[in-house]
Amino acid sequence: MSGVVGHRVGRLAAALLLLSLAVLLSLAVGSRTIPPSAVWDALAHGGTTDDAQVVRSLRVPRTVIGVLVGIALAVADTVLQGITRNPIAEPGILGISQGASLGVVCAIAFLHVHTLTGYVWYAFAGAGVAAVCIYTVASGGRGGASPVKLALAGAAMNAFLASVVSAILTTNARALDEFRFWDVGSISGRDATVAGQVWPFLLAGLLLVLAMARGLDALALGDDIARGLGRNVALLRATGALGATVLTGAAVAAAGPIAFVGLAVPHIARALVGPGHRLLLPMAALLGPVMVLLADVLGRIVVRPSEVPVAVMTALAGVPFLIVLVRRKAVAAA
Amino acid sequence: MTSVDEPRASLSVRPAGHAVVRAGRGSSFLVHRRALAVAVVLAVLLAAAVVVSLCVGEAFVPPAEVVRVLLGLPSPDELVVGTLRLPRLVTGLLVGAAFGLSGALIQTMARNALASPDVIGVTHGAGAATVAAMTFGLTSYAVLPYVSVVGGLLAALLVYLLAWRGGLSASRFVLVGIGISVALGSLTRLLVTKGDYLVAQQAKVWLTGSLNGRGYDQAAPLATVLLLLVPFLLWAARAQRSAAFDEDTATALGIRLGRVRLGLSVLGVVLASAATGAAGPVDFVALLAPQIARRLTRTPQTPLVCSALTGALIVVVADVLARKLLSPLELPVGVFTALVGAPCLMWLIVRTRGNRSGGTA
Repeated sequence: MSGVVGHRVGRLAAALLLLSLAVLLSLAVGSRTIPPSAVWDALAHGGTTDDAQVVRSLRVPRTVIGVLVGIALAVADTVLQGITRNPIAEPGILGISQGASLGVVCAIAFLHVHTLTGYVWYAFAGAGVAAVCIYTVASGGRGGASPVKLALAGAAMNAFLASVVSAILTTNARALDEFRFWDVGSISGRDATVAGQVWPFLLAGLLLVLAMARGLDALALGDDIARGLGRNVALLRATGALGATVLTGAAVAAAGPIAFVGLAVPHIARALVGPGHRLLLPMAALLGPVMVLLADVLGRIVVRPSEVPVAVMTALAGVPFLIVLVRRKAVAAA
Repeated sequence: MTSVDEPRASLSVRPAGHAVVRAGRGSSFLVHRRALAVAVVLAVLLAAAVVVSLCVGEAFVPPAEVVRVLLGLPSPDELVVGTLRLPRLVTGLLVGAAFGLSGALIQTMARNALASPDVIGVTHGAGAATVAAMTFGLTSYAVLPYVSVVGGLLAALLVYLLAWRGGLSASRFVLVGIGISVALGSLTRLLVTKGDYLVAQQAKVWLTGSLNGRGYDQAAPLATVLLLLVPFLLWAARAQRSAAFDEDTATALGIRLGRVRLGLSVLGVVLASAATGAAGPVDFVALLAPQIARRLTRTPQTPLVCSALTGALIVVVADVLARKLLSPLELPVGVFTALVGAPCLMWLIVRTRGNRSGGTA
């Protein structure tokens, strides 16, 4: 038993190593490739060379935001999959990210909120409302919230919210200008203040998740058994959903809607460290940033000298994963 | 169609509520009476919507003048109505009809109201192919519609292959379709980023699903496709009856269900892609039109003619609203149909019974 646990802790360490490698890549690769030694030099000693400037003022904020967003999305999704017991619950598919977008657009267009700390609240509200709507729609009717119903309700919600967003933007040129930069789901062009503003929300979300994390294992056994084990199922779900919403809202407020990070990461993490959430959550929190950073680095390389937003790359990487999941019997039959 | 006459009772066994239409010698088919009435009502409504659509705009043109222009009589408003508004309207009508038919065929094939071309990746495939063609320098409107048909077919084939696992389950089909749609949407954005500025602008306008600036250039290829498909549609009208059976019944009756389904879906995919090629992805028309038509006619099968009429009606009305609601600004018609269509899809999801064997979601 201790051997298995040791094995898994070893894998956590490997994931940590992978993360530092991804961070290094994200700092070094781009339209201007900077050797790792120069990166280290710029980080440790500062300096005024071009390379040092690029690393410190452009790549460091971008990488930090990538890490924060990756953690937020991966943990949010692990929790969502846990509380819905649904392998394809994911903020992007379910339209929760799009709900956060709508909140931000409304804040910019109608309430003239222009700072991240201002509109992050609207992102939370939008994400929360969208999450509740989708779950209500999907669990309505006979058969409960099956994966297909969740995905379809999410697709409908996505289409609906996207058209509301574009209707608002068509009629409001100033909002369009501000939003366009934000909408693409990218972690470039954000300065360090964004990271400074978003981390308290991230922390709050993580604390909420931590508070209920032990209950996730009980929930995995089914509502009745969880109740039998003395868990307050409704409270667990509510706390988890709130935590996931806060995390998603914070990630979306920082980087715009990024889909499919959450879908792949928890499944990979589960394959590596097993279904127990005590190891699963840290593993997801390590692998999430790896995926975001690698997708971002890839996005910088594929169409040089211009860049592809990270959201596009994560979607392209995540979809094959969704298809593999769907082809397994477990999802389609449910 | 020639006449609706009462059949000689001794010779025919006809289902309740139907009449027999004889079209020339030796060929006749059943017509559902209520469906016929609904079709007539829809046609009248559509005609009214057409006139309204031609009347409203930046300058109001009185209906009498519109009718004069339509009849080819001289009129002072000939330029506005005949040259500016009519081409757009014709495109809208054709696009709506094509989406309506496509939705009816694919929903019949999948025996699932939720499997519309928007959901299973066809429109996104057509979109990605068209944007790709634009990015690589192919911008002629004479060729683009055919590119989008190819793209739609390829996307549908991909979804079909990926969803196939010793059989086709409707829920797997829908889930794979949603995934492929997302991937193709991302691919489209990738291509827009890659392309130069002018191409990106053209692609973006096209991708919003707008009738703004669409005219005979776009309508002509779509009309050609529709005309070429008429014989196949006549076949589909008969074949869809047998597609309603489940596998066992069909096998017992000697119907080659696989072929029928394949035919229906190819037909539906071609129609949806051609319509997308003309106006961009106008969301949810293909999903809604057959559902509305079927509820109106109360037929066991999805009525094709009524679906086409409903689709055309939806697009024309949505375009009028999209033009007038926030005037002088104009919303793309696709935005408007999605605003109305998405809640309807959710309602369908809530209403759908969780029946496992039928493969419904």
